[in-house]
Amino acid sequence: MCSACGFPAKPGHWTDAGASSPAERLRLRFIRLASVNRLLAPWGLKAHDDGATPGLQLFAPGGARVLVDDLESLWLEAARMAGEPIDPLSARALDHEG
Amino acid sequence: MKAEAGRRDGRIPLTLLGGFLGAGKSTWLRHQLHEGRFRKRHFLVNEAALTPVDNLLLGKAARVEVLAGGCACCDGLPALVAALRQICDEATTSGASGIDGVLLETSGLADPGAIAVALAADQVLARRLVMEKVVVIVDAVHGRDQLAGEPLARAQVEAADELILSKPLLAKYGDLARLAATIRVLNPTAVISAAEHGTPVSLTLGSALPFPLPVVAAMAEPIRPYRIEVGKDGGWIALSTWLSALLQSRGDDVVRVKGIVRAPAGLLLLQSVRRMVQPPEILPERDAWLSGPAPEEGMIVLIGRNLDGELLERSWRRFGA
Repeated sequence: MCSACGFPAKPGHWTDAGASSPAERLRLRFIRLASVNRLLAPWGLKAHDDGATPGLQLFAPGGARVLVDDLESLWLEAARMAGEPIDPLSARALDHEG
Repeated sequence: MKAEAGRRDGRIPLTLLGGFLGAGKSTWLRHQLHEGRFRKRHFLVNEAALTPVDNLLLGKAARVEVLAGGCACCDGLPALVAALRQICDEATTSGASGIDGVLLETSGLADPGAIAVALAADQVLARRLVMEKVVVIVDAVHGRDQLAGEPLARAQVEAADELILSKPLLAKYGDLARLAATIRVLNPTAVISAAEHGTPVSLTLGSALPFPLPVVAAMAEPIRPYRIEVGKDGGWIALSTWLSALLQSRGDDVVRVKGIVRAPAGLLLLQSVRRMVQPPEILPERDAWLSGPAPEEGMIVLIGRNLDGELLERSWRRFGA
């Protein structure tokens, strides 16, 4: 558990593999944020990573905000906010302009 | 399971290893090799897709040959028969080919029973090979759903001489004994055991009730492999993001994912079963340790149903590439 915010960061999610140094892990976090936001955009959702808080912050269009600790939780929470799964194969994802 | 070196009748023993997609066939074999078993076997690894991955886990085997691009029980059968005839010829002509038998790891989409029948029907192989044993791995976590919904999973269990429940420590308490009772109903004569990463785990069977097995719709949408070229230059971040979203939304349809991907930390071996992705393993860079063909870097294989190859490509190009 993070002593600053009490958030239970669960280490070792498979998507975190691939970075072997702290600098790479930080780089991976920010590049990943762009990929996450491209996928969330068709549902009007947005993720934010301030670099200090563990995990990602997920924002709904109305301003609701949830803190999630890994990508698995992010997609589950985003599906709850959107009322349907964030499906990269769906027409909504593939036909989204922008 | 001692190898039968020097059978009196001169026939070559063949062991078939089967089990549904992601059951843990390669993991089990890898542990057997680590324990010193099957070291002198000629390994034939059958992969449904064109991308060989499983041979990467079998570095300690003496000889590994990959039969990729079709299940050995149907599309890939001619290639299997040709490979087995070749092995038989080598054993006869050299007299000392250094192997004491053949171990065929079937693809997760193959029915070992159908393979055994096809091999027995081959005039040449019937005289020169002897079917030693059919070992089938059953996933303790996903086995119940697979047996409930997949005719193939049932056919695999029915074909076995030996059934091994894999991942028993991940299964829910009480479910393991019920799953064992269920496979006992499907195959009353097979020996049943359990193994975690290949290491035997004791199994208390007791008098658990089998899970009810519904009648399976015969015309279920078939499971097919799809290849996606993700590139060699570090697309890991985009890939893991895209794939994690795909598995969350389509995990019931994407049965298995396998592939070799370049990441900053090295070459990663990616494997999943439904929504469960194994912590990616970092592969050594040098090729010398490898048995069989070198990995095809930057290529992932998705095995599933209700998927559209063109949509997968479009989605990957849009969100991943």
